[in-house]
Amino acid sequence: MKVSRRDLLIGGAGAIAGLVLSPVPWKLLGDSSIWTQNFPWIPQPARGPVETKYSACTLCEAGCGIRLRMAAKCPVGITGVRSHPVSQGALCALAFAAHQLNWHPRRLREVRHAGHAASWAEAQAAFRKACAEGPIAIIDGRPGRAASSAFEAFTRNHHGSYQVVLSAESQALSPYARWSGVSVASLGYDMENARTIVSFGAPLLDGWGTPGRFTRLWSVRAAGAADPQLRLIQIEPSLSRTAARAWRWIPVREASEAALAAGLARVLLEEHMVNAKGPMPQLSLAEAAAATGLSTEAIHDLAHTMLENRPVVVIAAGDNPAIAALNVLLGTVGAPGGIVRKRGDVPVQIAAGSLPSSLRAVLVDSTVPWEFSIPTDAEVFRFAAWDGGGNKAGWLLPAPGFLEELTDVPTPPTFSRETYAVALNLVAPSTEVQSAAQFLLKINPTLPVVKKVIQARCEEIFRGRKGTVYGEHAVAVTKIDSAQHLEEQLRQGAVWVGDAPSSGKLQCDLKEWPAENRLARTINWATAWVPPVFPALGTKLYQESNLRELPAGRQG
Amino acid sequence: MGLALITGWTAFPRALYVRREQPLQFQHKTHSEKSGLTQCDSCHVVGSDGEFNGIARIETCAGCHAEKVGTSKAEATLVDSYIKPSRETPWLVYSRQPANVWFSHAIHTRRAGLACTDCHGAYGTSDQPKVYEQNRISGYSRDVEGHSMSGLGRAPHDGMKMSDCEDCHRRRKVEVGCLGCHK
Repeated sequence: MKVSRRDLLIGGAGAIAGLVLSPVPWKLLGDSSIWTQNFPWIPQPARGPVETKYSACTLCEAGCGIRLRMAAKCPVGITGVRSHPVSQGALCALAFAAHQLNWHPRRLREVRHAGHAASWAEAQAAFRKACAEGPIAIIDGRPGRAASSAFEAFTRNHHGSYQVVLSAESQALSPYARWSGVSVASLGYDMENARTIVSFGAPLLDGWGTPGRFTRLWSVRAAGAADPQLRLIQIEPSLSRTAARAWRWIPVREASEAALAAGLARVLLEEHMVNAKGPMPQLSLAEAAAATGLSTEAIHDLAHTMLENRPVVVIAAGDNPAIAALNVLLGTVGAPGGIVRKRGDVPVQIAAGSLPSSLRAVLVDSTVPWEFSIPTDAEVFRFAAWDGGGNKAGWLLPAPGFLEELTDVPTPPTFSRETYAVALNLVAPSTEVQSAAQFLLKINPTLPVVKKVIQARCEEIFRGRKGTVYGEHAVAVTKIDSAQHLEEQLRQGAVWVGDAPSSGKLQCDLKEWPAENRLARTINWATAWVPPVFPALGTKLYQESNLRELPAGRQG
Repeated sequence: MGLALITGWTAFPRALYVRREQPLQFQHKTHSEKSGLTQCDSCHVVGSDGEFNGIARIETCAGCHAEKVGTSKAEATLVDSYIKPSRETPWLVYSRQPANVWFSHAIHTRRAGLACTDCHGAYGTSDQPKVYEQNRISGYSRDVEGHSMSGLGRAPHDGMKMSDCEDCHRRRKVEVGCLGCHK
């Protein structure tokens, strides 16, 4: 049989038509597209047993409770812990994605000296030499940890200086600490008993303090109500997310918060609305009105509104004595619903403002914010897990990333009770890292070891027989049979919470109205500590989902 | 055209999927009828915290098969090759999803009240394991992709692709955004 050109064309067309009507092209197209999702160079989580671990987030000092979904001992998902007494199930977008941070492209993976690769041995030799040649300083971003006691011991042994960098929330408590002689770490806000909160720019609903604490309080007692049980008055130049949700938003001119505080103080004192007799601010009510852009009547009304629903507490965005003095006038320092002193005696720490010029070297812990500018010409040994770029430190030393080291989590700033949690090294380090405490221990083996300090702290809590351990169930410390058992519970993700704060006034005497302290304004949705890098999932979550609490009535 | 149609509908599926045998001839039917393991969650446990353990680990099997029970070849393989050396059985998982899929058995069985058979069919009563058919290109099981090449006349439990999840959610009027499954 002779096959003509016509037959070939008809056969070809028929074959094409047949193939189009068969699953071949469509299935090949679909399978090829799936195949491209599984290229071998795309990282995949390891296959293995799935388990759940509980811990405390160590990204900032808020110490939120986290629930980790682990696959083959590797974290693949993080959610909040609803039963956590402080964070109450809430997390910031960064914490939701924290497990991705350890694999961030900007992870610091090698020791660097003056921009070039170096070794740990060289770094240790350089620091040892510096210690022998002159005084050193250690800067800690999260005081009160087990590692902090190693820093303090090292500086004591080497005639050095131990200094701390405080978060904005802790800085806002600094005026009371200065006036009363009590450490900032032992002060907090008793927001649970407050009925009116006057915030001077503090982003209360946007990551302030421990994110879940105030958002939960607000969602239960304030959200959606025309006359809420908890009134939030937000004083801020712009309509921030907190201002948009507040009961009242008072827009004032940029950097005029201290003038408004002075105006309010003048109304409170002149009209004898408070028991305090002074001191009277130098600024007149008219001057305060002119500075803030509000009318004198508006300031007058605000003073009355503040006192309608007591207890009232005033919260500043940072270290601003002029605003803090309002709490002294209102008598809320040391009172329920105001500024309270937690139980426990915490030593006063020195804020890292200006360092002595004679320093030979400065060691900066990885908990110090990356953007913190170190005010010294000395040789700087900077520990960090991520390289945010632009840092002029002589030595860059790779520190453990998220949950790559055993650490403890002391009381978050602003919380009204003492707390203590332990975060285990649940993740194997993806590179050769050392924490600052481990680094110093190699130079001075007599320093306190983190593990033993944590044990000692657990024994101290056990001996104190006070407070409650919140794990799967809440258990009073008196019901726990040994310090080892208590430590074991904390290692499994439980958190110890001390008893209610002691009553009694904190002695804050003001001889004159404090001067204005102009703040460097930082607007961050996670205010406590932001790493120099951001995980991909964090960005996605922040853009695509509503991480904030819905009002109680609208929860699905 | 006829030849292309016949090839496309009969030879192509056979060529696309490689057929693989399970490492053991496991019998669901024997376990449910003779051993009293009548419920799926006797071995496929959803924990109190919602975590699903998937296929039972070897220590679960060792609970009954620490020594050989019977004289079958599969029994000897199970005990000698996996239980005694404490090695996990390398099961070929019919419903294995891509790594970027997050699926909670607890939500679907406890909250939505779905039965295991709604997605897995009556596999729990089978007396021998199905042949595992693996797509040569995508690498996934044919149980995930669905057995019907045309998509017509498919059983409700045939297929576990994203479109199958979406269809079920649409039928039940349950809205889930991208981040519901792709966390």
